[in-house]
Amino acid sequence: MRAGKKVSAEVSSPKKKEKKNKNKQENEEKENEMANKTQLKKVQSDKQKQSSVKKHDEEGQKLQRGKERRKEEDLDNESESGSDSDESDYQDFSEDISGDYESLGQSDDGESESEGGQSKSSGDEVHGDNDDEDNVDDHHREDQSDGSEDHQGVEESDSSEDEVAPRNTIGDVPLEWYKDEKHIGYDISGKKINKKERQDKLASFLANVDDSKNWRKIYDEYNDEEVELTKEETRLIRRLLKGKAPHGDFDPYADYVDWFKYDDALHPLSNAPEPKRRFIPSKWESKKVVQYVRAIRKGLIKFDEPKEEKPQFYLLWGDDSSAAEKANRLAYIPAPKSKLPGHEESYNPSLEYIPTQEELNSYQLMYDEDRPKFIPKRFTSFRSIPAYENGVKESFERCMDLYLCPRVRKKRVNIDPETLKPKLPSRKDLKPYPTTCYLEYKGHKGAVMSISTEASGQWIASGSSDGTVRIWEVESGRCLKVWEIGEAVQSVVWNPSPELPVLAVAAGLDVLILNTGFGSEEEQKRVKELLRLEIPTAPDGIDNMASIVSWLQDERLEGIRLRHFKNVSSVEWHRRGDYLSTVMPAGESRAIIMHQLSKKLSHRIPFKLHGLPVSSVFHPTRSVFFISTKKNIRVYDLLKQKLIKKLETGLKEVSSIAIHPAGDNVIVGSREGKLCWFDMDLSSKPYRVLKCHPKDITNVAFHRSYPLFASCSDDCTAYVFHGMVYSDLNQNPLIVPLEILRGHTSSNGRGVLDCKFHPRQPWLFTAGADSVIRLFCH
Amino acid sequence: METHIETPEDDNSRRVQVRFVTKLNSPLKVPSNSIAIPSNLTRFGLSSVVNNLLQAVNPEWKTEPFDFLINGELVRMSLEQFLLAKGISAEKILEIEYIKAVVPQKEEEPSLHDDWVSAVDGSNPGFFLTGCYDNLGRVWKSGGFCTHILEGHSGAVSSVSIINTDGVKHVTVATASKDQTVRLWKFDTEEPVIHPKKIRSFKILRGHKASVQSVAAQTPGDMVCSGSWDCTINLWRTNESNAEGDQVSIKKRKGNNQIDESQLEGEAVSTLVGHTQCVSSVVWPQQETIYSASWDHSVRTWDVETGKDISDIFCGKALNCIDVGGEGSALIAAGGSDPVLRIWDPRKPGTSAPVFQFSSHNSWISACKWHDKSWFHLISASYDGKVMLWDLRTAWPLSVIDSHKDKVMCADWWRGDSVISGGADSKLCIYSGIPIQ
Repeated sequence: MRAGKKVSAEVSSPKKKEKKNKNKQENEEKENEMANKTQLKKVQSDKQKQSSVKKHDEEGQKLQRGKERRKEEDLDNESESGSDSDESDYQDFSEDISGDYESLGQSDDGESESEGGQSKSSGDEVHGDNDDEDNVDDHHREDQSDGSEDHQGVEESDSSEDEVAPRNTIGDVPLEWYKDEKHIGYDISGKKINKKERQDKLASFLANVDDSKNWRKIYDEYNDEEVELTKEETRLIRRLLKGKAPHGDFDPYADYVDWFKYDDALHPLSNAPEPKRRFIPSKWESKKVVQYVRAIRKGLIKFDEPKEEKPQFYLLWGDDSSAAEKANRLAYIPAPKSKLPGHEESYNPSLEYIPTQEELNSYQLMYDEDRPKFIPKRFTSFRSIPAYENGVKESFERCMDLYLCPRVRKKRVNIDPETLKPKLPSRKDLKPYPTTCYLEYKGHKGAVMSISTEASGQWIASGSSDGTVRIWEVESGRCLKVWEIGEAVQSVVWNPSPELPVLAVAAGLDVLILNTGFGSEEEQKRVKELLRLEIPTAPDGIDNMASIVSWLQDERLEGIRLRHFKNVSSVEWHRRGDYLSTVMPAGESRAIIMHQLSKKLSHRIPFKLHGLPVSSVFHPTRSVFFISTKKNIRVYDLLKQKLIKKLETGLKEVSSIAIHPAGDNVIVGSREGKLCWFDMDLSSKPYRVLKCHPKDITNVAFHRSYPLFASCSDDCTAYVFHGMVYSDLNQNPLIVPLEILRGHTSSNGRGVLDCKFHPRQPWLFTAGADSVIRLFCH
Repeated sequence: METHIETPEDDNSRRVQVRFVTKLNSPLKVPSNSIAIPSNLTRFGLSSVVNNLLQAVNPEWKTEPFDFLINGELVRMSLEQFLLAKGISAEKILEIEYIKAVVPQKEEEPSLHDDWVSAVDGSNPGFFLTGCYDNLGRVWKSGGFCTHILEGHSGAVSSVSIINTDGVKHVTVATASKDQTVRLWKFDTEEPVIHPKKIRSFKILRGHKASVQSVAAQTPGDMVCSGSWDCTINLWRTNESNAEGDQVSIKKRKGNNQIDESQLEGEAVSTLVGHTQCVSSVVWPQQETIYSASWDHSVRTWDVETGKDISDIFCGKALNCIDVGGEGSALIAAGGSDPVLRIWDPRKPGTSAPVFQFSSHNSWISACKWHDKSWFHLISASYDGKVMLWDLRTAWPLSVIDSHKDKVMCADWWRGDSVISGGADSKLCIYSGIPIQ
């Protein structure tokens, strides 16, 4: 252990040498101690004497403890009497401790005595806790303290912080800052204080076992040294542990000294007799009390009831920002800062800031707004700078600006506008869809009002305002058949059944059922049979029906003529091809008639009409019937004969309607150019409203198999959209605009009058008012 | 040989060392030593150089247009641009192969029809056959000289096919019509006629449930196949000795008070089912394989024996025409509802992407035909009124025939050096003198 220390001492700085000296002193102490121990027997006699003193002392102590209270009350007498009895005992003890007390200085005899007793008692208590050995140790220490009085004084001066400044001067900083350093800080002269070599645990433990004073030693982290506590310090600690005042001199129970005594004064402060009111109860107080009592009885005064604890809620999903905003409603809006002057505003700017004569000339040609407000100029000195002519004006304007200009904090939403766009799939991924016109079907003389494709997609039929119905071959654009109807054709519809190649044509008052002549011979036979009326009129039909519709044989066109009482605007076949519905917008309550081809019968629909009917459509799979009036669309169940749903379009005037082949989605075109998509499972309001046409939408169409729909308009364009309906009910239909199909020319303010998809190819037919039918292919 | 004098002297232009080679016969051969020519020469310039060279050998040489191949590709821009585009070094002596330019040199007299010409077949060098929208088929000896009129269809003739050309005298042909039948006809091409002779079909093939769109004869054989709007392909026998069918048909005809007892009726031998839309075109180039194109966007190859489709090429567009030819008679050319003529090589494994795409047309392609001798040449007809002559070795058409006023509905090669095309202007145009070796 010592060898180690020596090694460390060799390495260490002069400070260490001091330490070394100290260690030497300690060693000396220890040697002293050893000497003391050898002298133990000598001292034995003294000890016995001391122990007898102690016994006596203890008795005295007990007495003193019992009397403690009294002693406080009349300390003076007691101390006098106590001092009398215990004088000799104390004297012994005081001898022992006098060395310690010398430094403290004794002010008062009595006090010192009492204090000595107290201190003694405190020491006793500690002793009681410790072993007998400690007791012995204590005495040894007392002896030793006697012996080594001189160097203890040195130690005291070294370690006590009150008297001597700490040798480390780093101040009140966390010590871990120096944890990794070699030094612990700096001494008063600014030199580094190096860390001591640490003893390893075992060595220090052994040292501690050897050292009997070990229990007094405390490691001072700040100065990196071991400090031995002095007796006074241990006592001070003990006092603190007991909860007493740290300083032994302090008397907590000192007598009250009444410095001002007036008992024997000649004149009291006031000579007035005690007033009467001091002795009688207050009238006004009692009145007030009565008043309160009454009020309490009446219930006017209510005592505070314990408030019900309201449960504290807070918006878990609420927007924190809004709450924060409410808090500082009257937020201060700072005035806009005026621009700081730059280099060019300098009185002597660099040459590159000075405009050349040409630039100055060019400023003259500029508009006032574009002209620079400040033209830099060079002045050689401060003296030559003239007054700024606009100074007053500008500061006035600035004031006006600050005062008059209302300032509003603009809420700038920091969002990339691209992210606000709906995520639509790319058009390329949605191919095929019609894009280019490759074929034209020319032959009509007037506007083509209506077209219809045959179920297989081999032919299309068209009706025109020139009074003809034509059938075209799709693949070649050849006109195969022409019928002269005589009246402007409003609507042409192929029978959806492939076995029944007939056309329904609406023209004027009539609806004609025409045989196209296609199909095999058997089919032709069946069609001819179907289109022959046994009885020219139907007298045994319902009477009022006869007034509305009459079935006539048309010999010339080899078909059936259904003569209505009002102009027919549209015809629609049922999917089986036996029923067809006709719409007469002017027919009021009899506006929509249902015809059965096989039985040659007509019926009025059993529903009340609300508003002017525009068109009627059969559901593609179920026995459901859609009637669109100008504003709304009503959906009826034909079997139950009741209204299922009412679709509110919110449009001014509905022009056309088409139903998705699955039957749950409906598109509606309007005269104002809006297209509504209804998801009937979703709501009776439109799922999407597409405003794309600047003019009336004339027709809308769904593709039978591809997820496509189209709208055509009087602006001579047709729009093609991707309209995907998912079988998953959770997924809303996806609508993507795909293509604007142009090519038709306007005629009499009308553009494209009808559009139909090819039943099997992603192709769109458009019928124009320019008497051309176009085929747009993918 | 000093050729520098003949070529236009231009100091600014760079010169390329070239050597002209050819596979043509001796009068067209030029000396094979290399010469330096300006690099800005185009096809025309090169052609004049070759003509000059030939003239130097043979003073009576008449100038003739040539086409030039460098590394198997036709030169279609100036030599410099071509070399740059293809990354060919101009340092070495460039070998330029020249061939006769494939352009129609003569337009013969058009054959006028009464209605749109919908189909044409020129597989017999002695005559060609046309189908028309006036329900008639016609046999033409040459342009404007009609020998026979095939009468009997009640709908527009949509397709015609010459079945056997082995017997010179008696020729059998098949016509398909929109009246859902296919009819077989027989006539003698040798007999001298002044007025067109009207003949009736000897056999009616019924079985399709919709318009028959296309008919094709088995190339070595006596069967025909037909594609129809009812999505099927029917195979028919063409022989006359169909005993049971014979009797049935006679009975039926008598019941219907028809005059022509001679007409037979035939039933389909087998039906190839698989297409989902109109079968717009069929070809039967080998005994056991039928190729078909359909509006369902697919090209299918059928094995006749089993009646199953072997392969399926998906195209993405509705197809109108198909032909098989080219290298090893294996390339499939098809055109349809867009202006692109696509050529597939079915021998390439694992891909259905076309090997060539020609897109100079402006509208639907209505017909495409391979030259039956050349591996590289094919024609296409389009609704934009143009017939284009293609060489696989360049992406530009060799020549564009633009004499039709309306849609061109059909086109075919005739006699190996002529192109015949019929259109919606009721005209059948013949362009001859196409030098394909």
